[in-house]
Parts: sequence; structure tokens; C-alpha cells
Amino acid sequence: MDITLPNSIERILLDEATIQQRVQQMADIISTDYAGLRNEEFLLVGVLKGSFMFMADLARRLTVPHRVDFIALSSYEDSAEATGAVRMIMDTRADVARRHILIVEDIVDTGYTLKYLYRIFGARQPASLRTAVLLSKPDRREVEVAVDYLGFQIPDVWVVGYGLDYADRFRTLPYIAMLKPSVYEH
Amino acid sequence: MSLFDDVEKVLISEAEIKERVVTLAAEMNALYTDDDLPILICILKGAFLFLADFTRHLTFRHELDFMEISSYGRGMTSAGSVRILLDLASDIQGRNVIIVEDIVDTGNTLNYILRNFAARRAASVRVATLLNKPSRRKIEVPVDFIGFEVPDEFVIGYGLDFAEQYRNLPFIGVLKPEVYQNL
Repeated sequence: MDITLPNSIERILLDEATIQQRVQQMADIISTDYAGLRNEEFLLVGVLKGSFMFMADLARRLTVPHRVDFIALSSYEDSAEATGAVRMIMDTRADVARRHILIVEDIVDTGYTLKYLYRIFGARQPASLRTAVLLSKPDRREVEVAVDYLGFQIPDVWVVGYGLDYADRFRTLPYIAMLKPSVYEH
Repeated sequence: MSLFDDVEKVLISEAEIKERVVTLAAEMNALYTDDDLPILICILKGAFLFLADFTRHLTFRHELDFMEISSYGRGMTSAGSVRILLDLASDIQGRNVIIVEDIVDTGNTLNYILRNFAARRAASVRVATLLNKPSRRKIEVPVDFIGFEVPDEFVIGYGLDFAEQYRNLPFIGVLKPEVYQNL
């Protein structure tokens, strides 16, 4: 395995093996919790762009039948982080009503996005609504939000890789790493 | 697993896919440098597994974007008209683009995307597809990186679905005819 680090990487926070092992554990628990459902009853909803790699690894390890859907969000340029308001750019293709919905997210930090998703999907009469999140930055939390399946808690540092980006880069690194402060400070 | 009961045969095994995504990434690594900063555009939903796997092996700097497309009604018209459900978040004018597809069969969808991207004046456009089904081609389209050539059979798995099922199979299989003929 090539572990040559890009120049912008300070150090690896979670290596590939650690992530894969944890995703497998999460998939096992989720498969147990949702056992018995049919394909059309269980919908994984991945939040683009960040969740695509986590979704790929989680979904293929589930032993329970399921469908996969993606949504895309964007923040409002004029309000940004203050309110956490987001716009849904692409909604699910599948009808959420009467289905068991599992939102798949790469990271929860302030909690605003996840809270928004709970509100939107909760209003559509799903059979159930839960969340699987790879990373949580509890130090950054501004609103209380429940996470049902969590991969890792991490400190409040700028992380990239495994779906997470800096200026749309580093998303495809198979590990999660801290970015050198010099990259984002200038 | 009842899903496996619907599979007539395994066309490409999990091990073969794992090996091929590495060599395919190497083909790209030989063609692109950090300075090219290509933008990979994943065509949802089918290509997301393929994307997630080969991109882990890329050594040049790159960006990612997603596009989701739906054809009108059942199947594609010869004009290849499609609806864009999710457009690119990025402006690709002057950018080096790599389109990432799960399968190229008639070529209609890809042809639409290529024409669309040409209109946006991308600097270069290449196409990477997990599967290529040349026997079904109705319009000639350039395909630069091909995972596997497949015969004209109903293929499923590794991102490819039939009625939203079988996407998460770790291999590429052929669906039993009775499964899709019964609908």
C-alpha cells in the first residue's frame, strides 16, 4: 500500500484499515437492526458530495436488502453558517413515505444540516428515520441532533479524505487526515 | 441471500474488479499530472461504487463533481434527450474533465453529456467507464478508460441495478431472464 502523503497533509488521523474495520462494524449493526425488511422498504439516503465513499463501503457490506439514493445540498451564499440554512439542490428520487430511511452523512459538526434533514424527511411520514454518520466533531456542535450510528468522534481540526474535502480536493484519499494549517490559513 | 438466487452467473468476480480498478487508476496516473487538476464527474447513481474504488488509487490532484441524469419515459430516444436532475456544482469551462460512467451501451446518454460539456467549453474531456457494451452501440462515442468489455447481457451489481435492486452485489452478474421478463 502506497502511503506517500500529499504535501498538504500534516498527519493521518484515521488510517484505511481503521476506517474499513469500523464501517464493517457499523454495517453489521445496521444489518441486524433492519433485518427482515425488503429492498423497497429500506432506503439509504447519501448526502453529496461528502458521503459517496462512506456510502459505497457501507452499502456493499449491508446484508439487508436496501436501495440507495442521493441528495445534494447547498448553503445560501448570503446567510452561510450563522443560521445553518441550506437549500436542497437535488431531492431523493424515491418516495420517502412509509419507507425506513437511513441518512448517510460524512460528518456532523454544527449539527444544522442534520437537523434540517431530520425536519425535511421527518415531515414525509417515513416508517422510521435514522442517521449513520462517519465522523462527529462534538466541539463544534451548536444544535442538539441525534446520531444513531456513529463511526468516530474527532477533535475540531480540519480533516480531509474519505469524502471530505478542502476546496473540493483530497476527497478520494482512502484515509482521513489533518490538513497542514499553512494550506488553509493564507 | 435471495438476491443471489436471481443471478444466472457471475460475469466479473469481486477479485477481478478489485484488480482492474487499480490498473485503471494507473492508466489515468500515467496521463494526468497535478497541474492538469482534472475534475472527475460521476454520473449517478450507477457509477458511485466504481468512482469510490478507483479514485482511491489516483496520485494526481483532482476534484470531484456529480451529475444525475434521467431519460424521458422508458429507454432513450434516438435523439438521446435526457433530463438533468442534478447539474454540476462546478464551472468546467477550461477544465480537464473525466466523465465516470458505470456502463456505455447505446452511447446515447454519453453522447448527450459530451455535447453538453463541449458547449461548456471544457479544455479536454475523457471518458472512464466500468463496463463497455459495444454490441449495443447506436452512436459512436469516444471511451478512453474501460474497465471491462461485456457481451449484450443483462448485467447487474457493483452499482448497476435492475429496478433499484442488486446494486450492492460485490460482483458483476447476469440477471436471470425470468426476473426481468416477469415484469
